[in-house]
Amino acid sequence: MSDLNKKAPSILLEGVSKWYGEVIGINDISLAIEGGVTGILGSNGAGKSTLFKLLMGRLKPSQGTIRLFGIDPWKSTAPYRRIGYVSESERMYDWMTSLDFISTLARLHGMSREEAIKRSKHVLDFVGLEDVHHKKIGKYSKGMRQRVKIAHALVHDPDLIILDEPLHGCDPIARTSIMNVVRELGSQGKTVLISSHILEEIERITEQIVILHNGKLLAIGNLHAIRDLLDQHPHRILIKCENPRDLAKLFITSGPIYGVRFPDVGQLEIQTNNLSAAHDIIPSTLVESGQKITSIENPDDNLDSLIGYLLGGINDG
Amino acid sequence: MPDDIDIRSSQTRMEVAYGSGDGDENMVAIVAKKEASLGTIFDQSYKPWDGELGPRWMRNYSIYRHHVYGLFTSKGHRYYHPFVRLTILVIFLASLTPIPMLFLSSLLPGQDGDILSKMWGINRFNLWGQILGYFPRNLCMWPLLTALVVGGMISDDRRNGTSAIYFSRPINRFDYTAMKFLSVSVILGFVILFSYFAYYTSAIVFRGEGWAYLIDTLPLFIGGMISGIILIITYTSIGLALSSISQSRFFAAIGFLSVIYGTKIIALLIDLQFDTSIMYILSPYDCLAHLGQFLLGLELNYSHPLAFSIVSLISFNIISMGILISRISSMEVTRE
Repeated sequence: MSDLNKKAPSILLEGVSKWYGEVIGINDISLAIEGGVTGILGSNGAGKSTLFKLLMGRLKPSQGTIRLFGIDPWKSTAPYRRIGYVSESERMYDWMTSLDFISTLARLHGMSREEAIKRSKHVLDFVGLEDVHHKKIGKYSKGMRQRVKIAHALVHDPDLIILDEPLHGCDPIARTSIMNVVRELGSQGKTVLISSHILEEIERITEQIVILHNGKLLAIGNLHAIRDLLDQHPHRILIKCENPRDLAKLFITSGPIYGVRFPDVGQLEIQTNNLSAAHDIIPSTLVESGQKITSIENPDDNLDSLIGYLLGGINDG
Repeated sequence: MPDDIDIRSSQTRMEVAYGSGDGDENMVAIVAKKEASLGTIFDQSYKPWDGELGPRWMRNYSIYRHHVYGLFTSKGHRYYHPFVRLTILVIFLASLTPIPMLFLSSLLPGQDGDILSKMWGINRFNLWGQILGYFPRNLCMWPLLTALVVGGMISDDRRNGTSAIYFSRPINRFDYTAMKFLSVSVILGFVILFSYFAYYTSAIVFRGEGWAYLIDTLPLFIGGMISGIILIITYTSIGLALSSISQSRFFAAIGFLSVIYGTKIIALLIDLQFDTSIMYILSPYDCLAHLGQFLLGLELNYSHPLAFSIVSLISFNIISMGILISRISSMEVTRE
């Protein structure tokens, strides 16, 4: 472990590209991550899994350098003593109990049998599977399997945890449980990298995000800061109310609102170029209207819209 | 959007995040300070672990034991189908069949015992046959044993997604390959070499032979043992190479049997038709049998030079190991 550079960032990518023949998986990405939870966002095919496979030494970069704790993961396995990885693959040893499975993997880190079992029990307890650790994994639900994957990634107490779509296909309870696990790990100072293609999921865990699109790094930083950058772009706000036309009259005279639409019965869509200013006037305008409001939605508050705006920015530029 | 922000290139976006290069040299990323509020369903508290991770040999031993102990119990180890376990047991017991006959020969007095002893006792041909005899050992036993053990050795890892799990731990490619190789070799060795040792030992013990007999026959025994070791290495190399290019244990097992039996049948047909043994250099079994005959001092029953068989054997191993190493070093074995 002495060869690991304690001062180096957990993850450092410099000009990393990966091509599959003529198809680009990752294109010239530079990135440094240290501490806390970072969400990797991107639509399907954006390059999230390629990025993770590069980090895990399963792919060799076509160009650029990757360092985990200062070491090239393709050339050395030393960083993996400090890394826990949850792949997107669902497959595990279904004939084993979760306790056997995790303790088997713990022994791949060189733990003794007793130590492996003790530690496995703790991580299974942490992910909420202590009551079912003697059941075979093949009988587990999707959410339980995801938690087993997280448990096996944590068994050796890693400093960097990489989670590839851990919430995919989980029911709401499992999602909440996994989100709690991730937030707890982040709050303990561990570096957690979590990928998803759903903005709302990541938003509930962290505000630090990296957005990938077609293999390129599209945005990085605080989610709200990125949104603020996009404030000048058109946003839509959908309001469900009793009388949309009367409400529209009030909004149309307001400064930040430049247009209205009536997409369906009892629905008003207002359009703004300044989201913050619009949010400032919406409550008072709704109160002034005296109408019963059933819902206020922001249809643009999702990853596709965010990417669309970022790409729109490129096109506008 | 401010004019100085250009989101056309990734690098510029990085500068936005880090503040136009400020702090990049420190390589520290910006991390969110606020945490979103969320209801808690489970009381989850994570305790750091302060133990020491074990050395390399402990990690490697865990791979080895996972595969080998799985033959006896799948609790925490590799799963072998009961049919596979039963077949391996039957092959193991069948490989020990000369021992009861030797025991019988030691019980029968006079000529009857001598006849049995000549049939089953230690001589060059019987020692060769215990490892390299075609029927039943190299027709029904060793290839089948290898196919059953080696078929899923790597392909199962790909199918179960566990090769990726191995490589997300401090297991390097060499250790992974070496431990897989060792696991298969030990299982094959246990059946093939243990039965050979048991046969030789029981022949001496049952007939009450002395040191002179032991010294006389020891070179023959060692010749047979070397043949057995080369057989195990060759079959393991070919089997693991096939397993590394497959996602199915069935394909790897059938592929292995096809290589062993297919080459033998083709060479046999050509020998019968054209009266030449040269095509036997394509058959791993015949190359081994040829070398084994030389090592045990038997009359060679192949008309082509022994060197051809040796070169062919070396080639089989180099090609197989090359495929295996290239599949693992390129991490192709982690593609599901």
